[in-house]
Amino acid sequence: MSKSRGQGRLDALPGSAGLRAWARRHAYSFFSSLGSLTRQPLASAMTIVVLGVALTLPVALHVTLDNVQRLADGWERMDTLSVFLNQSVDDAGAMQLATRLASRGDIDTVDPISPDTGLAELSGQLALGELSEQIDDNPLPWVLEVDPMPTTNMPDLVAELEREDGVDLVIVDLAWLERLDAMVALLEQLVLLLAVLFAVGVAFIIANTIRMDIQNRREEIEVMALVGATAAFIRRPFLYSGLWYGLLGGALAWLLVRLGLLLLTAPVARLSGSYASQFQLYSPSVEVTALLILGAGLFGIVGSWLVVGQHLRIIGPSR
Amino acid sequence: MISFEHVGKRYPGGIQALSDVNFSLKPGEMAFLTGHSGAGKSTLLKLIALLERPSRGQVMFDGRNVSRLARRHIPYLRRRIGVIFQDHRLLSDKRVFDNVALPLMIAGFSYGEIQRRVRAALDKVGLLDKERMYPPMLSGGEQQRVGIARAIITKPPMLLADEPTGNLDPEMSAELMNYFLQLNELGMTLLIASHDLDLIRRLNRRVLVLKKGEIVDDIPPRLMGEPA
Repeated sequence: MSKSRGQGRLDALPGSAGLRAWARRHAYSFFSSLGSLTRQPLASAMTIVVLGVALTLPVALHVTLDNVQRLADGWERMDTLSVFLNQSVDDAGAMQLATRLASRGDIDTVDPISPDTGLAELSGQLALGELSEQIDDNPLPWVLEVDPMPTTNMPDLVAELEREDGVDLVIVDLAWLERLDAMVALLEQLVLLLAVLFAVGVAFIIANTIRMDIQNRREEIEVMALVGATAAFIRRPFLYSGLWYGLLGGALAWLLVRLGLLLLTAPVARLSGSYASQFQLYSPSVEVTALLILGAGLFGIVGSWLVVGQHLRIIGPSR
Repeated sequence: MISFEHVGKRYPGGIQALSDVNFSLKPGEMAFLTGHSGAGKSTLLKLIALLERPSRGQVMFDGRNVSRLARRHIPYLRRRIGVIFQDHRLLSDKRVFDNVALPLMIAGFSYGEIQRRVRAALDKVGLLDKERMYPPMLSGGEQQRVGIARAIITKPPMLLADEPTGNLDPEMSAELMNYFLQLNELGMTLLIASHDLDLIRRLNRRVLVLKKGEIVDDIPPRLMGEPA
């Protein structure tokens, strides 16, 4: 057919054939997109900052949740039981029970707290001063702080302890931990939802930026089309631009999160120190970082693809 | 090379630019297209490079009906037709060198080859010393010559020119026409829209006269039997 013959002849032009020409055209698009990014540094920087800040939100939330979960994992190991004894149990009875419980296989340590110690701790915590001096009759019972073995089945142990003579009440305050877990799970869903929303946002922010870029370079696009540029060739620099915006926005978000963590390191260390804990803030993992930056880049390409195809059709010279 | 068969072009809004155009151009032929402004010269050229599609009739280029060419084939057609625009169509934020190099970049030529060809073309139009300037820094005539260099840089088999001497002084115009003759002697087919009748007469080539959207006269060269 004459059509294909004509094209074959064209492709046979020296320098235009093969992989090298393809690579050269790509290199041209590559540098042309970088050029357009640096030609308007302020506009580009503003777009990147918007993207960075937008992406920081879901990532920061993810990092916060990640840290809360790690902290909660530590707390679940601090599940001591408080065994409140009857008022009638005296010092000797309490010590005896403590010894007996400590010898059980499913219990690691037992720490008996006398009513006097309890009162002193309480008045100290509540800053009530010399509370013990003002109270003649100490209302507190003996309390045994029981630290179970890690493998112990908690509900069974609680039931058995409650059946012991002289035991008034066994308190396992795990409910709040369960609530925390539920809350974290909920927030995780929220992070996922936010991530999707922000990804769409990123695509549209980039689409809008590219749209303005196309309008500014309408003349250039028309001239390129006039001298025989294919749609792919015209489109390519804009797709690269979208990629750059996404990658740089993602990288900026990562930087902002790292900066935030750095600023929080000292206060967190102080706080955890006051609880005699060695807790450290965790940074986003490599996977999350890669997902953030590459994902933003991908959505950048998607965003510019959306708008470029449509706009090239509208301002394309052949009607 | 080119043939028009009952070609009409009506723009949206009802302006009838061409009503019934019939002519053909053999490969290696050089012809002028003349007529008053508004006669449809620019439109006729645009139909060949498919900057516009005809409303009716057939435009054939190199054996192909370009009026029915699919969108994705248009770029390849345009690479085979150099076009010199009346309003230059240069990129004002790119240097003269890059403007002229654009068609080669698009075709994927190596940088060395691009440099060699661009220099040669700029030398030909007398602008080698201006390659690092931007188009707005040049005079109208110089910009026109940049546009010419860009149109011929890929050595296309066909060259269309819309009032190429419009902004040039007589001396420069004559020089340019001589250059066109050289290109023609090398086998390039040329169709040049111009109303510079003196120049056309001197060059003694085929002349198509367009009036109110129709070819009203087709004047063959007087002295030479066959165009070079």
